[in-house]
Amino acid sequence: MTAAGPVRVLVLWCPDWPQTGQAAEARAFEQVLSVVEEFCPRVEVLRPGACAVGARGPARYFGGEEVLARKIVEAVTGRGFACQVGLAEGLFAAQLAARAGAPGVVTVVARGQTREFLAAHPVSVLDSEEMADLLPRLGIRTLGEFAALPVAEAVNRFGVPGALAHRLARGLDPRPLAARPARADLSVATEFDPPEQLAEPVVFAAKALAMRMHAGLAASGLACVRVQVEVTCEDGRQVSRLWRHDGLLSALAVAERVRWQLAGWQAGQDAAGQDAAGQDAAGQGAAGRDEDPADRLPAGGITVLRLVPDQLVRDGGRQLGLWGDAVVSDRVARAALRVQAMLGHGAVTRPVLAGGRGPAEQVTLIPFGDAQDPEFPADRPWPGRIPAPGPATVCRDPLPARVADAGGVAVTVTGRAQVSAPPARVSVNGGPWLEVTSWAGPWPVAERWWQPRLARRRARFQLVTADGAAWLAAVQDGRWLIEARYD
Amino acid sequence: MTLTYIESVFDIVRVVVGISQVSRLPVRGNDYGASPSGAAPAVRGALPALPTPPVLPALPVLPALGELLPGGLPRGTVAAAGGWGLLCLALAAGASAAGAWCAVAGVPQLGVTAAAGVGLDPGRVLLVPDPGAGWPQVVISLLDGCELVLLRPPDRPSAGVRRRLEASLRRRGGVLVVAGDWEGAQARLLVTRQEWAGIGAGHGRLRARRVQVVADGRGAAARSRARWLWLPGPDGSVGLADLASTADPASTADPARAADLAGTAGQVLRETG
Repeated sequence: MTAAGPVRVLVLWCPDWPQTGQAAEARAFEQVLSVVEEFCPRVEVLRPGACAVGARGPARYFGGEEVLARKIVEAVTGRGFACQVGLAEGLFAAQLAARAGAPGVVTVVARGQTREFLAAHPVSVLDSEEMADLLPRLGIRTLGEFAALPVAEAVNRFGVPGALAHRLARGLDPRPLAARPARADLSVATEFDPPEQLAEPVVFAAKALAMRMHAGLAASGLACVRVQVEVTCEDGRQVSRLWRHDGLLSALAVAERVRWQLAGWQAGQDAAGQDAAGQDAAGQGAAGRDEDPADRLPAGGITVLRLVPDQLVRDGGRQLGLWGDAVVSDRVARAALRVQAMLGHGAVTRPVLAGGRGPAEQVTLIPFGDAQDPEFPADRPWPGRIPAPGPATVCRDPLPARVADAGGVAVTVTGRAQVSAPPARVSVNGGPWLEVTSWAGPWPVAERWWQPRLARRRARFQLVTADGAAWLAAVQDGRWLIEARYD
Repeated sequence: MTLTYIESVFDIVRVVVGISQVSRLPVRGNDYGASPSGAAPAVRGALPALPTPPVLPALPVLPALGELLPGGLPRGTVAAAGGWGLLCLALAAGASAAGAWCAVAGVPQLGVTAAAGVGLDPGRVLLVPDPGAGWPQVVISLLDGCELVLLRPPDRPSAGVRRRLEASLRRRGGVLVVAGDWEGAQARLLVTRQEWAGIGAGHGRLRARRVQVVADGRGAAARSRARWLWLPGPDGSVGLADLASTADPASTADPARAADLAGTAGQVLRETG
């Protein structure tokens, strides 16, 4: 690294920002970003809940780093968001500094002190499980101890991840920025004529655009650390935002950033028109609009979408796992994208097995291209879950049913899971009465009684009817429901 | 068997000859002098040079279905499975287990745990629960990416739509498994009888289902066959259900009748389909 060293970076971190990968969070964070942007126009979003700005220019303008940081904290806190700010050399140290404080506190690491500041931190902050696991076993517990190793030793022993981690531990940027500017303009743009009014087609175009950008970068052997998404409206306004890329984002992930940016901008537009006091209500309104298919964009529609790769570095390559990765081939991705373009983003899903007792809860459908883990993992014990084999037909919404005993009286289940009489006939969704030939149950489940909104008590039955069909039925609040059919 | 195969080859050749004559006519333009008999030798001469379609192996099926579908699911064909049920998933499971991507269109109520149970890998599945009115185009797009598409048509497809889909199937070498009826399907499977095991009057639970599946079709699959299968078996997978170990003699055919079933299968299909 040159003598200049990494630039001074200011990181703003909102400690209790939810991190579930929902677009609503990114949108809400837009309100924080708009505050920070008043101090420095080039804000880099690390993820919803954290952003970074280069501190040198604004610090000079506002009369010192400390002053700048305080002003930002006050402004953001004034909008009702808890935040803490760190200022140090390099993004890594600045992030740690931000986390070191408490809400409303500014932590400024003095110029030249970054390496000392880092030295006390445990190696677990390196955000690499491999290093965090390996180094303590070798007796290296802090970044200072790690940084004391000779560079060559670190590279020999730990390879590329070790070299990166060693640079971080020494207070340097993880990789040297490309010294030369890009020879060719690697930015890509697409125009919409007539201006596009809806968000969905713009996001779809962004996928193809990102593929083009990646192809261009790959042809030059480069990767970009950040990608700038520029959206130009018909009335000439331009909104641009930097997103962390690190050469790791797929085309779909870039498109997802574009979606967030459009949605966030829209939320910002709406919030601006409303009373500042009604911020929470605005946030909820934005979340509600998520499902609205007609996601209209403000300002007469979008005319140009441009993706600009920022901070080009040599592409070190990325190794996919040899086994275990369900790699989505380009062919499949293209087919899925085409169907998404026809029917919308949420119309093509991938099933992920999740945890739960009923058959409907055991699956989470994730829109193609989104990375999301099910809320309840499948590899936990779920006492009382419906035993295998699973039903081939799972009703999206349980069907109402009527179940009667031999005398024609409706069958009920008591609070102690006693059946009033053996079920003899069943009518599904108002259909004809079917004779029950065999049955099993009740299997009572009381779920989430600690959360009144989600609490549920059900007694489940399996019924086989004379036509050979088998049903998964349940009694809830005295009503019979058909949850699934084994066919 | 061999004979029917040869016949079907002749069918194809005849169709191709027809097509080549049709497509040749405009090229010949004003050359009315050429008699049909004059054209015939040229066509016959072209026959050996017919572009053979790329020979891709048929998609494999689960071992338990091997006797019903000898040779698996040939690419570019349609298999109809009577109606939505585990049989459709079992048909797709063999290909999925072999690494193929499967798409399921028009089945919002798909039970993914059941699918995983019969051997369909959820990691290589695309779901399009509601393909809408433009479902033929959706299916064609899905066939670009997936070797096998499992479809429950939202409406009865017209002959034109069927031809379009079949042409696109042949071009892409995919397989369409239809949960429902499909005129001209190469293979047709149907659950004709089923009985659940493990559940009694107020005790036990659904453990396994023995089903009789009857298969017939066209070409190599023209002869009807019937087999008893565990669908699902006690562990959710698909297996052959041995006739000797049947629990309920009343609902089970004796071996002699089982052999006869092959003959009556077509009738059964007509009755139920």
